[in-house]
Amino acid sequence: MKGLAPLFLGIFGTFAFSWVGLTVIPNWQIGHLDPQSDEEGTDIYPQPQSGMFERGARVYAANGCIYCHSQQVRADYAAADIERKWGNRRSAPRDYIFEQPVFLGKMRMGQDIANIGARAPAEQASPAPAGAAAPAASPSGGTSPAASPAPQGAAVSSPPPPANSPATAPAASPASPAPKAPTSPAPASPSPAAATAANASPNASPTSAAGAPWPVQTAGEPPMYSAAWHHVHLYSPRSINGDSNMPSYRFLYEKRRIRDARSADALQLTGSDAPPEGWEVVPSFDAKCLVAYLMALNQSHPLNDVRLVGGAPAAPVPAAGSPAPASPAPPK
Amino acid sequence: MNATGIPLKEPEVSAVAGDTEQLERAYIDASTRVPVLMFYTSSIAWLILGTLLAGFVSWKLHSPDLLSDISFLTWGRVRPAHMNVMVYGWASMAGMGTAIWLMARLCRTVLRYPLLLVAGACFWNLGVLLGVGGILLGDSTGYQWLEFPGYAAIILFVAYTLVASWAVLMFRYRRGDQIYITQWYLLGAFLWFPWLYSAGQLMLFVVPVQGVLQSAVGWWYANNLLFLWFGAIALGTAYYMIPKVIGRPVYSYHLATIGFWSYALFSSWTGMQRLVDGPFPAWMITASIAATILTMIPVATVGLNHHMTMQGYFPLMRYSPTLRFTVFGAMSYTVFSVIGVLISLRSVARYVNFTQASIAYSHLGLYAFFTMVIFGSMYYIVPRLIGREWRYASLIKLHFWASAYGIGLMTLMLLAGGFLQGVDMQNPTLAFSESIETTLPYLRGRSLAGILLTASHFIFAYHFGLMLLGLGRTSTVPTFLNPVEAEASGGH
Repeated sequence: MKGLAPLFLGIFGTFAFSWVGLTVIPNWQIGHLDPQSDEEGTDIYPQPQSGMFERGARVYAANGCIYCHSQQVRADYAAADIERKWGNRRSAPRDYIFEQPVFLGKMRMGQDIANIGARAPAEQASPAPAGAAAPAASPSGGTSPAASPAPQGAAVSSPPPPANSPATAPAASPASPAPKAPTSPAPASPSPAAATAANASPNASPTSAAGAPWPVQTAGEPPMYSAAWHHVHLYSPRSINGDSNMPSYRFLYEKRRIRDARSADALQLTGSDAPPEGWEVVPSFDAKCLVAYLMALNQSHPLNDVRLVGGAPAAPVPAAGSPAPASPAPPK
Repeated sequence: MNATGIPLKEPEVSAVAGDTEQLERAYIDASTRVPVLMFYTSSIAWLILGTLLAGFVSWKLHSPDLLSDISFLTWGRVRPAHMNVMVYGWASMAGMGTAIWLMARLCRTVLRYPLLLVAGACFWNLGVLLGVGGILLGDSTGYQWLEFPGYAAIILFVAYTLVASWAVLMFRYRRGDQIYITQWYLLGAFLWFPWLYSAGQLMLFVVPVQGVLQSAVGWWYANNLLFLWFGAIALGTAYYMIPKVIGRPVYSYHLATIGFWSYALFSSWTGMQRLVDGPFPAWMITASIAATILTMIPVATVGLNHHMTMQGYFPLMRYSPTLRFTVFGAMSYTVFSVIGVLISLRSVARYVNFTQASIAYSHLGLYAFFTMVIFGSMYYIVPRLIGREWRYASLIKLHFWASAYGIGLMTLMLLAGGFLQGVDMQNPTLAFSESIETTLPYLRGRSLAGILLTASHFIFAYHFGLMLLGLGRTSTVPTFLNPVEAEASGGH
């Protein structure tokens, strides 16, 4: 090759082509998404987070949680993610519009945690991320009764299911505290918890045990996916599940002598992890933020352009552009 | 031809012309001595640190309680520290050292103001040091491959500007108007990297793009860094070393042209295949899968070109350390790309995307391909900078075999373990923990491979240290892996 100009032009041209093609054009296409809202503008999803959530995300980044945990649920035709109860629908670009950084992740040495906040017991379920429609129950259905005191009891009203929705969603409940016009059928998809519960067998224990989230509820521990449970799990993962290979994060906790009375935050530790008499283990502020962050991870709010599994396919053309299968996957 | 009939040295032209050329070469080599040795020494120090961190990462993955109570030794910090030490400390510095030397030789120009390059190397070291320290102290940005906090990234960029502008300036002062293939690749690498790095930094930190696009930018950055920075340097180096050592011109310039341009065009479009079924427009992922498949064109042309150049000269790999490492690396480029195509196909990616197999892929690229080629170039370049030959052929052999078996074992373990992990994960009737338990034996095997690689790196660092101390052999003949006379007396 002789001429220098073609060489330089080619080097810049090929790279510019890729830069424009893979970053600029996608930014043009999905780089300016707005939250979704219903006609009244009351049911807005997602909503920006702040405070402890932001700091928790920094703790999450600093300690490299992303190297073992992903935060993306793949569609049911592609992967077993939904059958594993990691979510009730695939993740979509809109779920992440307020996240900085985004922790999609590329490795699953641990479970996907895109919806770990949605699995919290009902009374602790974070109302924040969804803005509405906090899941009424842990999606684990019947496998952990202790963790889900009111699996379908939160049904306030049952709007008529959309015509194309399978009739297998008995307890479709907009478990939303926000006022919602009962006459608006558009976002009336079944509550996520109900949808997953309906998708699994109603009386789940023997069959869905296989697909149950891991780890499983152990006796004597706090209810699964509650804040107290997260703290015990971070402090001593193998006290919750003996097979876990998650490292413990004891450096986020402080072991101290009990002064007047046991702190309300003190971890409910058992066995060899329990501190000696007169001592307690309390979470640092970072640990509390991390747990607040985890509890707020929740993509169970329906999106108009993403099909809920067992629910209604909302828009004919998903914005994500993925080829949706012609018919919903058969219920397991 | 030398006395043995095996052209392990440069082919000699006529006596007089050869003398001036050799003088000129020695002069150019001498001008690059300080900066290139500086880059090499730093890179080897980072290699040793990165290897130790890697062993720690690998071990902790199956023994999670090992030293987990210390915040800066938690797995999630040591892992990015290892990755960044290897990428920015070892691979980038070693690659730049080789690239500077090659650039000076091919431009047939003396390196002017080498101290500025030394300053560049110092800044680069400072940037990596601050970045890795920041990661260990909990300052990671959380973007994979770009974990260095902002203050380290800026220093890196300043250092890079110093280095690259020198390389490009050298190009301006070149003599002769033929631009050799190696120079295309090196020029590309030196111009692509700053654009890539600043685009990544800008789109993630300065004016962050929204939501999932950050992940897209991250993968675009990571894959392009692998191909357009490391891959380009390694291919350029192979295009120089192979013909040089065997003393034979490259088989076909036309093939090389096709290979270079298709490489630049297609490999820069890869990256999104790592996001198969993720929350992205499907066209992005499909485009990257298509581009990955099309990278078979540069693989075929470059591979064919190297193969035809080597045709009939493969037995020389018995003797020349440079040739052995370089050819291993060039062959690994083919393996790396073929596996890259296989694991990017949607039906396969669904199984392997969130598993250890992706770790196997990046190690194939960065180690089996890039690092092995760079080792080869170091075996060629260091004696020419120091004026001594490598001291022990046995250490070179040990280095080669420990590296080759180490990376081979590691790749097999991670690919097999990753695939089984993915199969278990896709089977919802198995508890999730079973997919992890499935991988554990393979992860232990990987730790074993890590021990081999650690041994190989310590051997190499020791040998390099001997060279630096001036303890190499004084000889006019390079150190051959096997005695040449005895083997070759019958041939030729």
